Amino acid sequence: MKETNSPSHHPANARLKELLGLVRHSFVTHRLRLLLGFIALLAVDFLQLIIPRIIKHGVDGLANANITQIGLMKLGGLILSIALVIAVLRFVWRYLIIGFSRLLEQAVRNRLFRHILKMDAQFFEKYTTGDLMAHSSNDLNAVQMACGMGLVAAVDAFVMSTAAIGFMVHIHGQLTLMALLPMPFLAIFTRILSGRLHRRFATVQEQFSSMTEFARSTLISIRLIKAYTTEKFQTERFGKLGRGYVQSNLRVAVIQGLIFPIATMVGNLGMLLVLWFGGKLVIAGTISIGDFVAFITYLYMLVWPMMAIGWVTNLVQRGLTSLNRIHTLVTSKPALPELENHNLAPIAHPTYSLRELTFFYQNETQPALNDIRLELGPGIHGVTGRTGCGKSTLCRLLARLYPVMDGQLFFDNTDVNTLPVDYIRAHLGYVGQEPILFSDTIAANIALGKPDATQAEIEAAARHAAIHNDIIELSDGYGTLIGERGVKLSGGQRQRLALARALVCDRPLLIIDDGLSAVDVATEHEVFNGLQQRLAGKTVIIVSNRIKLLSMTDRTIILEEGRIAYDGRHDELLKQSSLYRSMYDKQMRQTPIAEPVP
Amino acid sequence: MMNFGYDEGGHRVSIGDMRIWRRIARYTFNRWVSFTFAVLLSLAVTGATLAQPWLMQQGIDRYITDINLDATARLIGLSTTALWYCIMVIAVFLLSFLQVVVLEYVGQWIMHSIRQDLFAHMLRLDLNIFNSNPTGRLVTRLTNDIQNMYEMFSSVMVTMFNDLLRLIGILIALYLMNVRLALVMTIFVPISLGLTILFARLARDKFRAIRSQLVKINSFLSEAIAGISILQLFGREKRSRDEFEELSEGYLQRTLSQIKLFGTFMPITEFLGSAAMAMILWYGGGEILRERLTIGELVAFISYMKLFFQPLRELSQKYSIVQSAMASAERIFQLLDTTSAIHEAEQPVSTASHRGELVFDKVCFGYDPKKPVIKDVSLRLRPGRTVALVGTTGSGKTTLVNLLLRFYDPQEGKILIDDTPITKFSLNQLRNMVGVVLQDVLILQDTLLSNIVMDTGKSRSEIEQILTNTGMHRFVDKLPQGLDTMIGEGGKELSTGEKQLLSFARVLCRDPKILVLDEATAAIDTESENILESALADAFTGRTSLIIAHRLSTIRRADHIVVMAGGRIIEQGNHEELIAADGHYAQLVAMDLHNGATTAPA
Repeated sequence: MKETNSPSHHPANARLKELLGLVRHSFVTHRLRLLLGFIALLAVDFLQLIIPRIIKHGVDGLANANITQIGLMKLGGLILSIALVIAVLRFVWRYLIIGFSRLLEQAVRNRLFRHILKMDAQFFEKYTTGDLMAHSSNDLNAVQMACGMGLVAAVDAFVMSTAAIGFMVHIHGQLTLMALLPMPFLAIFTRILSGRLHRRFATVQEQFSSMTEFARSTLISIRLIKAYTTEKFQTERFGKLGRGYVQSNLRVAVIQGLIFPIATMVGNLGMLLVLWFGGKLVIAGTISIGDFVAFITYLYMLVWPMMAIGWVTNLVQRGLTSLNRIHTLVTSKPALPELENHNLAPIAHPTYSLRELTFFYQNETQPALNDIRLELGPGIHGVTGRTGCGKSTLCRLLARLYPVMDGQLFFDNTDVNTLPVDYIRAHLGYVGQEPILFSDTIAANIALGKPDATQAEIEAAARHAAIHNDIIELSDGYGTLIGERGVKLSGGQRQRLALARALVCDRPLLIIDDGLSAVDVATEHEVFNGLQQRLAGKTVIIVSNRIKLLSMTDRTIILEEGRIAYDGRHDELLKQSSLYRSMYDKQMRQTPIAEPVP
Repeated sequence: MMNFGYDEGGHRVSIGDMRIWRRIARYTFNRWVSFTFAVLLSLAVTGATLAQPWLMQQGIDRYITDINLDATARLIGLSTTALWYCIMVIAVFLLSFLQVVVLEYVGQWIMHSIRQDLFAHMLRLDLNIFNSNPTGRLVTRLTNDIQNMYEMFSSVMVTMFNDLLRLIGILIALYLMNVRLALVMTIFVPISLGLTILFARLARDKFRAIRSQLVKINSFLSEAIAGISILQLFGREKRSRDEFEELSEGYLQRTLSQIKLFGTFMPITEFLGSAAMAMILWYGGGEILRERLTIGELVAFISYMKLFFQPLRELSQKYSIVQSAMASAERIFQLLDTTSAIHEAEQPVSTASHRGELVFDKVCFGYDPKKPVIKDVSLRLRPGRTVALVGTTGSGKTTLVNLLLRFYDPQEGKILIDDTPITKFSLNQLRNMVGVVLQDVLILQDTLLSNIVMDTGKSRSEIEQILTNTGMHRFVDKLPQGLDTMIGEGGKELSTGEKQLLSFARVLCRDPKILVLDEATAAIDTESENILESALADAFTGRTSLIIAHRLSTIRRADHIVVMAGGRIIEQGNHEELIAADGHYAQLVAMDLHNGATTAPA
């Protein structure tokens, strides 16, 4: 099934081999299934070709008036029994071969997901959720189609057309040539048209998604639309998009409107040629009327394979393109070292040493972190600074979400690049800026990192994160479903839930990357008290812009443009850092009656 | 489509629901000319298609096998028949091409008008509907549901009509040729139809099972990808993998069972086709022996039966499309029938007065009437004054603004502008009088200028004037192409501060009498804040202003401070008075107003 006629559309041969390597395993595993399937398919083709021969016998017998009613019944019975065998065999090949394509699809899908789970944050900057979803739905679908229906159609079309042509030549060579004259055009047309159809259809899809996006952004801002009375304005803009969409659909329709009528026309032109030349041959007595009828039946059999050639070519091409995309994805290497975790002993009080740590994001020329020297041991460490100063980057590096260079980051005095990533991660709890929760019960969300947590443990963590009271007010308490189809929680509640999730793991390190920003002041106090109780002797890194919170830490690090500007306790920083002092003034001093902060 | 198997549970609609068909028909009538044309084309295509086997039969019987005629006459006759055949072939080609295009034209424009109606209707609905429906669901109505309906239009109304026409045509042709053989062939009609319907039902269930599993896989996948760092940090990889593979296995099993069903049905139809062939040969052959049928007619019978079985296979697959399309259609019409709870004034007053006095008179309101969030609020804003609303989250500040803009109507009490109840204005009048700066900002994918102007029709120089007067030109000058900078998706990304400024510029461009400002809770960059503060000072003069304030600097600028808690006004006065009273306000200030702000409730 290799296509060699249009090399520009195809990856080089070596690449092709590599690509097929992705699906080869499935082909090898299910070789018996495929073998049986194709035997059944060939048998069907062969039996189908016999039927016109039987009809020929019948018609000739009728024309020469040398057949009896009994003879006709026998022929009919023969057709019926062959048809029955065909039906059974058809079921067999469908189940075996199409089923194979589904098995293959599943194998590739699982492989894709396994790979995604291994990838690091850099990978997800390159591939958006939408991209990956498209890979798993559209591309997989294209591969499955190519390996299922594509494979069947290719084999079927090849066998059927060769055999049917063979039988036709057997009846009359010249007539066959005549009848087949229009056929190559059909194959060429289908191929050209379905390629163009595909491109036009892609435009339709693009417009469909921009229409969707427009509707979404409008409806999400409905309050604004109404407040500004721009309903009509928006409707007109939407109408413009809609009209563009209609136009593109019409462009698709023009092609679609050609494909099937052309197929029908080409088939019928063949029929016309048979009627005209074949008719003459019968009149001249060169072929019998039975031959003539059988000839027509064979011609009917040819229309489908000819259409299939064009269709299959596109199907295979699309399948290969998709396979190529999937291949690129599953062969991308994670930037973090892939080391096996050989039962390394966990560390009770791990520390981090940052030694001249410098970090660049991909395609950035400015370092996000520059020459950071820092020791992080037990205690509460605050981190603050302006937007973009590198606070979150620091947290992400500590959590091993991005790669670091050798000799710059040490976990308990061992270079992190020599340690398995999951080993380090097993030591830490993490609360991100955006609380990410999953569609599941609240209890399951809290117990995410510790699936065997008891109800008591879950509740204790929830209490320390000051979310317990909110939870028990919900209809099903800890069993309440959240997420897409569940209860909606406020930003502050989501953040506290994410905190409880980190607390329940009870790990020696805790990183909170601005994870309390939506929690109100009163609750924040409560949370902080809970943290202090629960986290005594542990290493806590907490990013925040709130002076109240920072003043309660053991030390605060101020970052400016990726460098450590200041590092000290609250009162020291008030004296040294103008940034810290201005934050303090903005947040505390302006209030005339506020008490002097300790 | 970009629909990753979106599916909604809920009730199932029957295909025979006439109310839905009637409404679809109403849209069709608007395009009746094209529609009639399409129907005529259908008839013509069917006629030309069915003429072909008949011509073949004529050719065989009258010329090819008729040995009584002399050879030249037979050849001439054959040529004429072949010519006719050729004409029919070309006619079918042209007509069916035309038919496809015309139908697409009609169908797409019908869907376009439904979509436009629905969009305009949605924008008129009150906010309760938006609160109780996730945005994604409403968007689906406009996109995927309409698309589904279109599928129904093209594959049901069109193809089914064509196929039915063809089946009837075939039967007529068969009966005209030979009644007895046609009668025998007729037994295939109920068998095939019954089988098709049975299969369609079974296939629908299989399709549904597959689709719902696909939805599960896709939502699992999108959630896993979105939360991948959390999964990795909490060591969930293996569990996620197992869960995913279980879902994937479920999908495989469902597709395999669908393959079994198709693997059974498809061969059966093919078998029926062969059985028909066997019948024709046996019974039809007998008829020839009895000299009641010609060979040409026998050949024509075989051709007709081939045409007969062709549409059946497709028909069965279309059934499931119809099902989901009916459900979509019902959801669309249901939404179109939903009316807004906010009623427009029937005879709006003309806005003659320009003072801009705003009064809340004993207003009570709850999103859920049983749970009031605004309790007996009375407040008078004298023209030109600036009032700051202060209070913790959930105290009812935002709700007051929602009521003022008539996003909701109060259950008790009323709101008056210049002594006229706001229900007496048309919504457009009201919302043009009251300009709001909300926390969220709508950004059109367009230039900054068109984003500010929107539909006000203001000229570029007018906008430049306004911006210069308020000092906001500093914000525009910072952007690479000034007012012509493309923003939104694919354009320049604005910072939170810049978005606030844009939002403010929009309001200034509308020059409202009453200004409502929901101050940003999130910290914005210093530069934007400076620009905003000077622009605010300018905007407050000569306007009645109501500010939901989070920053102390803004509060201090107000003439009057209103403190809310639990839906009531509990304190009011100026800053010094309230601090001196040492009540709730003093406490709030002490608790650090700036940071006390949390996300506003819906």
